[in-house]
Amino acid sequence: MRQFARVGITLSLIAAIAATALAMVNAVTAPKIAAYELQVIQNALTEVSGGFALGDSNTETGDTSVSAVHALNDTDGSVAGYILQLNGVGYGGSMTIMASYLVTGEVIDARLLANAETPGLGKKAEVPAYMEKFQGTGGDTAVPQKKDALEKSDADSISGATVTFSGVAKSIAYGSDFVKSLGGK
Amino acid sequence: MATERMQVLTKGFFKENPVFIIMLGLCPTLGVTTQVINGIGMGLSVIFVLVFSNIFISMLKNIIPNSVRIPSYIVIIAAFVTIVEMVMHAFAPSIYQALGIFLPLIVVNCIILGRAEAFANKNTVLDSFLDGVGMGVGFTMALTLIAFIREVFGAGTITLVPMGGFDGVIEIPLFYTYPVRVLTLAAGALLLMGYLKAFFEWNANRKRG
Repeated sequence: MRQFARVGITLSLIAAIAATALAMVNAVTAPKIAAYELQVIQNALTEVSGGFALGDSNTETGDTSVSAVHALNDTDGSVAGYILQLNGVGYGGSMTIMASYLVTGEVIDARLLANAETPGLGKKAEVPAYMEKFQGTGGDTAVPQKKDALEKSDADSISGATVTFSGVAKSIAYGSDFVKSLGGK
Repeated sequence: MATERMQVLTKGFFKENPVFIIMLGLCPTLGVTTQVINGIGMGLSVIFVLVFSNIFISMLKNIIPNSVRIPSYIVIIAAFVTIVEMVMHAFAPSIYQALGIFLPLIVVNCIILGRAEAFANKNTVLDSFLDGVGMGVGFTMALTLIAFIREVFGAGTITLVPMGGFDGVIEIPLFYTYPVRVLTLAAGALLLMGYLKAFFEWNANRKRG
């Protein structure tokens, strides 16, 4: 009985000290982590806004592939488009993509945010120019989701990283359909 | 005595290098070494966790009951790993994202639990500290070497920390244009690990005569 009590008390003490230390570190780091994550989102929103003003935001989309919807307003205050925060899957696992669309579902611009893609290959999707192949698609023309739907120079640029391209393209195409379903509301 | 202490410190560098000789911690070694900065970041994280877990386990070795020593070690190691994770997320977010799942998995890194069980719970606090530093530095050196070769030949770049006007990426002209892409993939990591292991074995045999 005494042995059990000794074991229990020792484990409890170790756990309590560890929890206290973690709580103290969390108190220092949590605000910095929150500020950093907000900054990343804000920068991406500004970069893909296409010159429109940011309107209302909704983080309760009811869709697991779309984390947030931010309206884009024209100068007269009407909704000109949307920015979607999309959850995709690439070669290295989950990816976060920020993509902007006109109300017709046409892609304005996009950025690859958090990802674990391969450096030198899939990581190249982080470069803003990578998303040029999607710009203007999604409205009258379909979002390219396969390598053979791209022009030769674009197809060469995704060589060795087709899983990343496919993940990004599927998310952007899904976002385009999502925006169309909103109907400019 | 001083010589013995020096041996405890330096044995992890080459003679008992955790990656190339003892062959421990290979999952993170192969997983994160796609960029030099990832190798350095992972290595520094492991040094921190290894040193502090070794110190605390050595301090508590007479208090922790033998029957629950492994759960106790895991709690201590997990606490330090979580501290590293939170600090890195707050102050080095790009490295935090690059290390991904391998950062929390330091908890079950066999180098750390191995040194706790094989060394820290049998030796003094000072020796355990030196063992942690030596093994951690050996692990970091191995990761940095593998990452350097993989990134230079596989991507044609060397990624370090951005500072001022320097964006943190050095481009290597020939390999940036014509990279040996397989080296950045998992298969390339295994191939390179095999070559490096063969080299270290050859070197050890040569020294033994």
